[in-house]
Amino acid sequence: MNRRQAVTQVAWMLGGVFSAPTLQAMNRWEQIAKTTSAGTPTGKFLSETQHELMGRVAELIIPRTVSPGVESPRVESPGALDAGVPDFMDVMLRDCYTKAAQDIFLAGVSDLERKNFVTLSTDQQTALLKQIEADAQKSTNPTFWLITKELTLLGYFTSEVGVKASFDYQPIPGKFEAIKIKPGQKDFMYGNQA
Amino acid sequence: MNLNLKADKDQTYDAIVVGSGMTGGWAAKELAEKGLKVLVLERGYELKHVEDYKTAFSDPWEFEHRGKIPIVAAEEHYATMYFSAKEGSQFFFTNDKENPYVQKRPFNWIRAYHTGGKSLLWGKHTYRWNEEDFLANAKQGLGVDWPIRYADLVPWYNYVEKFVGISGQAEGLAVLPDSNFLPPMAMTAPELHLKKSVAQKLNRPITIGRVAHLTKPQPVHSAVGRATCQFRNRCTRGCPFGAYFSSLAATLPAARRTNRVTIVHNAIVKEIILDDKAQKAKGVRVIDQNTMEVRDFYAKVLFLNAGTIGSTSILMNSKSARFPTGLGNDSDQLGRNLMDHHLAIGARGDIDGFEDDYFFGARPGSLYIPRFRNWGTDKRSYLRGFGYQGGATRADWSRGAAETGFGADFKKKMTQPGPWKINLSGFGEVLPDPNNRFTLSNDQTDKWSLPQVVFDADFGENERAMRKDIMNDGAEMLEAAGFKNVVAYDNPVAHMGLGIHEMGTARMGKDPKTSILNKFNQVHACKNVFVTDGSAMTSASNVNPSLTYMALTARAASYAVEQLKARNL
Ligand SMILES: Cc1cc2nc3c(=O)[nH]c(=O)nc-3n(C[C@H](O)[C@H](O)[C@H](O)COP(=O)(O)OP(=O)(O)OC[C@H]3O[C@@H](n4cnc5c(N)ncnc54)[C@H](O)[C@@H]3O)c2cc1C
Ligand code: SF4
Repeated sequence: MNRRQAVTQVAWMLGGVFSAPTLQAMNRWEQIAKTTSAGTPTGKFLSETQHELMGRVAELIIPRTVSPGVESPRVESPGALDAGVPDFMDVMLRDCYTKAAQDIFLAGVSDLERKNFVTLSTDQQTALLKQIEADAQKSTNPTFWLITKELTLLGYFTSEVGVKASFDYQPIPGKFEAIKIKPGQKDFMYGNQA
Repeated sequence: MNLNLKADKDQTYDAIVVGSGMTGGWAAKELAEKGLKVLVLERGYELKHVEDYKTAFSDPWEFEHRGKIPIVAAEEHYATMYFSAKEGSQFFFTNDKENPYVQKRPFNWIRAYHTGGKSLLWGKHTYRWNEEDFLANAKQGLGVDWPIRYADLVPWYNYVEKFVGISGQAEGLAVLPDSNFLPPMAMTAPELHLKKSVAQKLNRPITIGRVAHLTKPQPVHSAVGRATCQFRNRCTRGCPFGAYFSSLAATLPAARRTNRVTIVHNAIVKEIILDDKAQKAKGVRVIDQNTMEVRDFYAKVLFLNAGTIGSTSILMNSKSARFPTGLGNDSDQLGRNLMDHHLAIGARGDIDGFEDDYFFGARPGSLYIPRFRNWGTDKRSYLRGFGYQGGATRADWSRGAAETGFGADFKKKMTQPGPWKINLSGFGEVLPDPNNRFTLSNDQTDKWSLPQVVFDADFGENERAMRKDIMNDGAEMLEAAGFKNVVAYDNPVAHMGLGIHEMGTARMGKDPKTSILNKFNQVHACKNVFVTDGSAMTSASNVNPSLTYMALTARAASYAVEQLKARNL
């Protein structure tokens, strides 16, 4: 068995915990083994303009929310930018994704660059992302949208600001018991994902 | 000359234990508590309880890749990606690139070369084998008969269980004999529903997983510094509370407190030194994994606890005029009958109607569905059986990537518990087959010039036939309980090794012509060498094996000390 098979099967066993891009990412073992000596790559994956563009996309997926009060708008909960998602994306794309997935991702970014995404109105941006999402739905292959969404969610919901704003974080629960849910109950988080 | 004699004396112990993992810890504890001066040789680096659980208290955001393994690291840990695919625990798993092996047929060899071995990684599912497990070979004319029966192990199960600390529910089932239990962990609402439905509609019992976690520590546990489980389920990063059983948290501290135990790390045991005249082992030859220095250590009795493949490799490497194909290998069974449990198969589904139900805490354990096939009046086309581990939980934010939508409402939704999901994962028994084996390579070596292990084993017809039932029966139970979107799954490339329950290769038996070890885990032809890890297993059962290894180890240690005292060794 080669490693590609090993990893596919392994991720398969995890019962869908990994998305196809993450899977593919792991297949990059073979390439990396051939081309690099041990050690983590360094340097930036995204250019500055791509970084900015992806920040905008991520913020539309997980926006900062502000309470309506006109007098002194209060941040209700932070968004992808507050959680540093673009930097996180950069590290993940560099270290954890295959060349193939990286290429799919970069093609998606270029497409948005061509459409001058950052200069569009928020409504136009949202409409465009909805279209991209609808197209992605039809694809059986990993898409720019899936990679972006996965990284945005992971980057946000495991960040310090994201966890603290979103969940009832219980690093040491001390017991396990069945309970009834309370109205508006936030999800419990235990910090055991890593 | 004098100098050498003195050196020999300094390196002479009553007993040498090879390996400090699940079984080595028990051997060290038992032998030392019975008064022997014990040397433990561990090939890996020193890992210290609590202090070396570097990530145990790390928050998710403290991991650069938030738990995912970078490609470069994955390359070095290829065999272990299934279990080490987390940033916080990867350092517990052995680097496969530095410790290569050959796969004639696919095999994942998952190892933990450091103090405590795989007892730091295990899932802690802890089950007694049943009476039938020790009889099946003889009844079915497969492999060889076990030289012991369930009754021989009962006192030893009792003995080790109390020290280990096992949480679980007594059920009075012959198929899954009860242990000495600490309080059971709770079931979630859909799990209770499944239990009830499956009992009513299919007459199959479901119980809470029996796991080696302290739900209510007893004085014997507190005495070595172990405390109550905190339900963080960060066990794979090491437990600073000592709440789950590992040799690092439990048996090694107990062994050390006798002041009769020395542990040497980075000591790769290469071979056993045979005293040809006496037909006994004199000691072992060791390579320092860092300096390559070769040293010999001597003892009256040797316990091999290097893990199934490790211990059998040492026997294979110990060639002499008397044993040209490996120590004790008169039967040619050394390396044969390699077994594991087959897995990566089962069923999953969703359930509606429990929207109000939730749970607090992260449970380090799951449900257990005991074997029901080929049991009682049930008869199948294949032999033996399987069980399931699994459970129901609510989906978290990670469900979002697969769902449509984004923006403020979507974000809010992801902060609330998602739908209930259930998974039942089957573990099936693998039959002993002499052609499922490993050997040592003639030409490929590792960096210590030791021959690489060559795996050549696969599931057979029986396992494949059983897999169909594992899928279908899993789905049937979920459907009986009204679960939706039930998917029965089978991974077509599932193979040996991934079960991490490697067993066999130096089996016990009554007849030295067909087995390597006798009923006390002694090498038939070299009585002062004991092998008490998974190598000794004559068949595989379908339940997790470690408790049985521990019971066998304590039993063999007690016997060894008796025999030493009687001057029979
Ligand atoms: C992820 C995972 C989940 C598991 N879940 C369960 C479970 O739920 N229930 C269950 O019963 N079992 C489970 N297991 C299996 C369990 O961990 C093993 O059965 C058990 O640890 C075997 O004990 P051992 O003493 O034979 O080997 P180990 O615990 O691996 O110890 C062997 C030790 O020997 C050392 N060694 C090896 N070769 C040499 C040498 N040549 N010289 C010196 N030292 C050497 C190693 O470094 C190691 O420290 C699981 C395993 C893993 C990895
Ligand atoms: S869940 Fe229990 S055993 Fe596991 S790490 Fe937490 S306290 Fe330790």
